Amino acid sequence: MGSSETEYSERKERGRVWEVFRRLSKRVTALIGLVIVLLFLISALIAPLLAPHDPYEHSLAHKLAKPSWDYPLGRDELGRCILSRIIYGARISLLIGLIVISIGIFVGVPVGVVSAYYGGKVDFIVQRFVDTMLAFPGILLALLLIAMLGVGLHNVMIAVGISTIPIYARLARSSVLAIKSRQFVEAARSIGASHLRIILQHLIPNSLSPIIVQSTLHMATAILWAAGLGFLGLGVSPPTAEWGAMLNGGRLYIRVAYHVATFPGLMIFITVLGFNLLGDGLRDALDPRLKT
Amino acid sequence: MGNKMKRKGFLGMIILVAFGFFFFLLLGVVEDPAAQTKPAEKVKPVAAKPKPKVAQKLIVASGTDALTMDTHFGLDAPTFTILDHMVESLLELTPKGEIVPRLAEKWEVSSDATEFTLKLRKGIKFHDDTPFNAEAVKVNFDRLLDPKVAIRYRFLVAPISTVSVVDDYTLKIKTKAPFAALLSNLTHQATAIQSPTSLKASWDKAVAKPIGTGPFIFKEWVPGNKFVMARNDQYWGKKALLEEVTWRVIPDDASRVVALETGEVHVAVRIPPFDIPRLKANPKLTVLDAASVRTIYLGFNCLKEPFNDKRVRQAINYAVNKEAIVKHVLGGVGRVSDAAISPGIFGYTPIKTYEYNIEKAKALLAEAGFPKGFETTLHPAVGRYYMDASVCTAVAADLLKVGIKAEIKMMEWGTYLPSILREKDQVEHKIYMLGWGCVTGDADYGLYTLFHSGEWPKKGMNASFFKNEKLDQILDAARSTANPEERKKLYKEALTIIHDEAPWLFLHSEVQMVGVQKNVKGIIVHPTERVIAKEAWIE
Amino acid sequence: MSSQYIIRRLLIMIPVLFGVSLIIFTIVRVLPGDPAVVLAGPHATKDVVEQVRIQLGLDKHPVTQYVIFLKNIFRGDLGTSSRTGLPVTQEIMARFPNTLLLALASILVATVLGVLTGIIAGVKQNSKFDYLSMLVALFGISMPVFWLGLMLMLLFSIQLGWFPAVGADSFKHLVLPAITLGANSTAIIARMTRSSMLEVIRLDYIRTARAKGLTEKLVIWRHALKNALIPVVTVIGLQTGTLLGGAVLTEIVFAWPGIGRLLVESILSRDYPVIQGVVLLVATLFIFINLIVDIIYSFLDPRIRYH
Repeated sequence: MGSSETEYSERKERGRVWEVFRRLSKRVTALIGLVIVLLFLISALIAPLLAPHDPYEHSLAHKLAKPSWDYPLGRDELGRCILSRIIYGARISLLIGLIVISIGIFVGVPVGVVSAYYGGKVDFIVQRFVDTMLAFPGILLALLLIAMLGVGLHNVMIAVGISTIPIYARLARSSVLAIKSRQFVEAARSIGASHLRIILQHLIPNSLSPIIVQSTLHMATAILWAAGLGFLGLGVSPPTAEWGAMLNGGRLYIRVAYHVATFPGLMIFITVLGFNLLGDGLRDALDPRLKT
Repeated sequence: MGNKMKRKGFLGMIILVAFGFFFFLLLGVVEDPAAQTKPAEKVKPVAAKPKPKVAQKLIVASGTDALTMDTHFGLDAPTFTILDHMVESLLELTPKGEIVPRLAEKWEVSSDATEFTLKLRKGIKFHDDTPFNAEAVKVNFDRLLDPKVAIRYRFLVAPISTVSVVDDYTLKIKTKAPFAALLSNLTHQATAIQSPTSLKASWDKAVAKPIGTGPFIFKEWVPGNKFVMARNDQYWGKKALLEEVTWRVIPDDASRVVALETGEVHVAVRIPPFDIPRLKANPKLTVLDAASVRTIYLGFNCLKEPFNDKRVRQAINYAVNKEAIVKHVLGGVGRVSDAAISPGIFGYTPIKTYEYNIEKAKALLAEAGFPKGFETTLHPAVGRYYMDASVCTAVAADLLKVGIKAEIKMMEWGTYLPSILREKDQVEHKIYMLGWGCVTGDADYGLYTLFHSGEWPKKGMNASFFKNEKLDQILDAARSTANPEERKKLYKEALTIIHDEAPWLFLHSEVQMVGVQKNVKGIIVHPTERVIAKEAWIE
Repeated sequence: MSSQYIIRRLLIMIPVLFGVSLIIFTIVRVLPGDPAVVLAGPHATKDVVEQVRIQLGLDKHPVTQYVIFLKNIFRGDLGTSSRTGLPVTQEIMARFPNTLLLALASILVATVLGVLTGIIAGVKQNSKFDYLSMLVALFGISMPVFWLGLMLMLLFSIQLGWFPAVGADSFKHLVLPAITLGANSTAIIARMTRSSMLEVIRLDYIRTARAKGLTEKLVIWRHALKNALIPVVTVIGLQTGTLLGGAVLTEIVFAWPGIGRLLVESILSRDYPVIQGVVLLVATLFIFINLIVDIIYSFLDPRIRYH
């Protein structure tokens, strides 16, 4: 017994080390995510204080200058400070992300909640509508809306925002369905609470956590898509400092001045990664059922 | 039970498919690196594709696609460049600017420049076997002059009153007034001669495929992708050495250069300045440069506020640092414009350049009522001119300094050009980018259709909707004057008015930079911005 | 049982298809300006505009217009490109095979890599491999495809010269775009496979199998994998559809002549007939792929039929 126990505990010990490391690392990754997101928020909020130069101040004579002490990430195709433009670009990305999610939540969640709460025909019709919107895969619906609305910051936010509505509607619906028949809802109903009251007081607050998780992950998607549109020349138009458009502008010079396209791309990647790490961490924390 | 069986069947299928996937992946993994590490073993990692035998098939990477198959309906140089290989004009303009015979062998002009007699070459057939003769040419002129057919370049031949067939190979053209520029205009690709059979079948619509007399025959057009032409073995002149020429559309400058470097294409147009040193250092490549008669400008829509105010237009001319753009964006290849046409064109006189002066610009804007500037939009041409998008962003950045916020709105070239050339109540542009190549070498071509108020779109190309009565008179007079000295004087006057009124932001004239594989010989880069592959071959 | 489910599933699809066509139909009509002018494009002469107006019944009641619109779709007539003057179906068919090839190649890469990684990570939960592969997967999800494409191009075509950078002429041309487009899906499939494996491994009958003394390998390959892959099939199916939509960015980076690039060019050209056509095609395909996925799923996991 003794020997087998040692063997067992040895194995377990090794497993435990990994387990601890994993847990720690899981927390570490979530923490890293949080730090990235905070840095992103801070640079967006106090961009003018952080940026070493005016992001629109150009100097053709210094175009494509390599990174230096004064210009840590170098200068772009018009000689503008890439670091400053990236910092200001965070503002645009944050704005886009927030508006997109607001559109998604403020339209999608009520639709989903109402659909689930009333059920029956309402649910059926609403769900077919949601199905229809979900039938446009990926970025396609946003592209279609851009084709209709034209390019520009506002239209990018509207287009990406609208394409996220069905996802929130679906999410809100399923979380309401899950709690709809629970006791406290039944109880509220039996004491004659109005529909609106039940929805506002019970259903929405109780379906909040998946929505928070989803929103964090969606910040990532919104930033990614907006940058994608900017890259295609269908997003925020130049000379506005937007990461996707910056990357597109630098693409031409990738052979001679790698930094012009590389750094904005890296920033998109890191920021999106940050939101994804944080979102995963939040999911583990808020929704233990999904924990693996 | 039945269900369960089905389930198993499905699972089996899926596993089978998955195995198929693995197998293919293995094939890919096992085979590919072996094949692909070979070039990497060489010292120079440039992808070279050794070819067993040199096929005479040339691939040219152009920035934009042909916009039409009908040379009479053509609008832009890339379209004409392609069509020129299949549909030939009566006369030809050499790179040096001389007018030489092509389909017309000889010509005579009356002393007052109102009567032109053309002797045509004999024994030529169109690609559809229709014989080439005076009657065929007359059909072409009838169409070019028919007001029912929407031809944008009609001004090239508009003063013609009658075209008559004297005999099978002699044609007489009479004009209403002296028209000295006609011979130059007959070198223009928009007046090239197409098969009368195909024209008659499609009189007021663009023909579906180009049928001419040229050294190449149309083979295939995949819009937005490629245009293929094959050698005409029955060609009347020196037969082409190439069996086939493919024009591939690669709008993105960077991709075009990469395609040249990896050997995917033989010729690539508009090599960006910063890539030139590297390409020149590459033993497999060479960069041809040739001056161009093209003048690049940003036009203002003079009908729209605030550009209806001359002071605003001048202010913008002062606000933009043209020298810096030529030096840093174009890498020094190019020349700041000092007139609306380039040197080397008949009628050119240097006028002046608006100097870079922000204070003056601000003062003019304040005077015009915009002390803090204004917001506007700028439509760049994308993938059409040398560094076009970069030039526009540089201009927008300069304008920002005087408070003018110009939002850049991109549009694909094939739609951009026709949409710039819409009627005045349909256009949306405020500032647009265009370049005008004075391809006939005569100022009439470079000024008349761009500045005469009778040439507002849809009729002509005055997309600025500029109108100045004195200028109209001068341009008309210069057109119907036979005396060259007299004409030169008139054009100087015209250029002075244009400079002062500033319907354009005058930028620069281009230099063409064409990258070519060293084993490709005989490519001609014409100052009219055409790449000519008629006599090229691959070694 | 299953036929009932399929019929129900088909019935649900019909309103969705109508919805998609209605959305696309509406878009051109709500644009500012005369829809006939919008559809005819900036090249068009007045005659052509009038011709378009009559052809599409734009002078008639909106309902009639919609009926005409549907009729044309069923006849395979998607109109004429305002940019090239060619039939939209011809334009799309010239490019669609390229996109299909790219999407299939990407899903192949993504499936093989994703499923393998997911299985190993799941079986060896909490191992170094698990930890690292899931981190890489997270990278894959966060990576902007256009940036990844550029970086791969920079490294493999420009620096090393192993693969051509642009075009679509041979198998070699396919490699970089397929990896670029597939990266995101690889990550998603790997994560899905892993969590599905973990869920299954914990299930009772696996424990029973283990308790019966079956070897670990046998347990995993015979029992766990079979069941774990059921939800993965769904994800793979859905990703195939998403890839058709996601091909846009990849096609632009690699100058791949597919319908994604066609769509972007058409948007930049305001070529609305082509935009309509491409979006309609991709959405319809996506709906059918979803249908097939659902049906396959219902065979694999009969429980869901009763939902």
